[in-house]
Amino acid sequence: MSMSDKYFAGLDMGSAFTKAVVTCNKKMMASAVSPSGGNYLNAARRVLDESLSQAGIGFENLAGIVATGLGAGNCAFEARKVSDLSCQAMGCFCLFPSARTIIDIGGQFTKAARINPEGRLLDFLISEKCATGSGRFLQIIARILQINIEDIGPLSLKSQTPVEFSTNCAVFAESEAISRIAEGAAKEDILAGVHRAMASKVSMLVKRLKMEPDIVMSGGSSQDAGLVATVAQAVGMEILVPEKPMITAALGAACLAEDEPDI
Amino acid sequence: MSAVPQIEEFYTQRGKRARQLRDAGQKVVGYFCCFVPDEIIAAFDMVPYRIQGCPSEPIDRADAYIEPMACPFARSCLNMAVKGDYDFLDGFVAPHSCDTIERMYSIWHHNTPAAFNHFLNVPHMMGPSSDTFYRKELEFFIKALENWSGRTLDQEKLKETVKLYNRRRARLRELYALRKPDPPLISGVEITELMVAGMGIPACEHIELIDNMIAEVVKRPKPKHQKLPRIFIWGNEIDDTAFIRLVEDSGSYVVMDDLCTGSRIFWDDVPETDDPLDGIVSRYLHINCPRSYIPAAGNREEDLQNRFGHIGDFVKQWRADGVILYIIRYCDTCELDGPDLREHLNAMGIPVIMIEDDYSISTIGQLRTRIQAFLEMII
Repeated sequence: MSMSDKYFAGLDMGSAFTKAVVTCNKKMMASAVSPSGGNYLNAARRVLDESLSQAGIGFENLAGIVATGLGAGNCAFEARKVSDLSCQAMGCFCLFPSARTIIDIGGQFTKAARINPEGRLLDFLISEKCATGSGRFLQIIARILQINIEDIGPLSLKSQTPVEFSTNCAVFAESEAISRIAEGAAKEDILAGVHRAMASKVSMLVKRLKMEPDIVMSGGSSQDAGLVATVAQAVGMEILVPEKPMITAALGAACLAEDEPDI
Repeated sequence: MSAVPQIEEFYTQRGKRARQLRDAGQKVVGYFCCFVPDEIIAAFDMVPYRIQGCPSEPIDRADAYIEPMACPFARSCLNMAVKGDYDFLDGFVAPHSCDTIERMYSIWHHNTPAAFNHFLNVPHMMGPSSDTFYRKELEFFIKALENWSGRTLDQEKLKETVKLYNRRRARLRELYALRKPDPPLISGVEITELMVAGMGIPACEHIELIDNMIAEVVKRPKPKHQKLPRIFIWGNEIDDTAFIRLVEDSGSYVVMDDLCTGSRIFWDDVPETDDPLDGIVSRYLHINCPRSYIPAAGNREEDLQNRFGHIGDFVKQWRADGVILYIIRYCDTCELDGPDLREHLNAMGIPVIMIEDDYSISTIGQLRTRIQAFLEMII
């Protein structure tokens, strides 16, 4: 790393987690994730400090910061604010230059976007105030099944006869899941059924957007291999998943800071 | 004196002017939507008052009378009525603009009866027989007003009122022309305030307000040139500035609209015919609102042009870079027109975003991400 290299940071202050990425020449140098926990300000400081120390630099070495996510307004540093859709698009594009459609299943909303060959947004759709298509649905079901969120994917892949959910509402699906448990349905079948319900919501969003390959899925929920496989089946296309799907928007934010470094 | 403080006063203290006029002896007639020819009410020397909701107040009383999955604008209006905010209305008129307003008519006048209550049937099909039907309905409406007031409608007075209202329409078109330059000379927020202010005051007072505002705007120092996207807004009722402010504060100019609180209520004049009802019928029945069905014409492309051509023309003339379809939740007619309108505008190369909202300023913030991403997309 020569002295002339410039460092940039991207902060994604999401409803569930706050993430930071430090880049240099659009390569990821360091990253950190922490629960937002009701205090975006502290979480942002924590993840930024952590990623800066991983990268072995100080705050003064940063040539630019872009903040994004629901909590971006709480950012204490001088940072340009960019919508999380633009950041997510750029982050996925940096990792997969072939990406043309992005699916982001976040804690609050599901977003689908089409991007051009430069990683810029062409069009997008966001699920409207509905938990069925969001990561929150998985959290609800994991809670009533008393399993860890990380175990959902591997467990669901064992399912032979997925439970059919008759409703498209996460709240009603919760009571439906409880009824199925009472009837003796296996945990893996309930989870696979939840994935199907989510995938049908997500694929509707993507199809309405007139998706094009390659499709990249990001956001915390894409760590759930069972969900990714079900969505891929529903849209009828292979889905690419980043190695660290939670930090793609923060990575995109840092890359956008590099594109327009002057704050 | 600047026109702005007076506009703000009428905007924030809605109903105040109507109450004053009522105290001075005039009757105030509240009505919904843009399908009630308010010049008829004014020709009886009564004050027409366009009923608005209040998105900054929670709907805490209306749910006892109306299902919560109904249009939140209609529920908000009923909420105000139940609380007594509309106790200054001597008359209440609901047109069959949409099914919600139609059913609301009986709920409203049963629970908060005015001295005069009238339901105006407005055909949904735009065809030749509809003109005859609507004309008859207006005759019933006039008869009902005559019976209630004990006066006969003076045809000459109606003609004069039509002229007066056309003068207001011309002034509003002049006002909207100030949005054509880049940057526009007047903001979308200022326009919204001036439109809402006019809904509860006599037309002649509104004209004065518009004239003062135009005179003031053209004298203001030219706005600094900033290259920001120019936005067109399509939808239904926007009687609060919160959403427009969000769109403009996110880095854009709101330059034109097709809203029932905007261009839709004033764009076309009422033809000044020998029998004033002829002109009124032809103007009011052919308002381009998604609640009306325009008979299909030609192939798909021609049909879309027939339905949405006027919107495309607005977008071109006001050089809009993007269109926001802003729909109050559960407005089926808007939601069903949305995809076709999007197709028509996309074919013109105009990016479109469709947003559904709750008619509550507490949910406006949630739309910020969407608006920002849309503006970033069209820069």
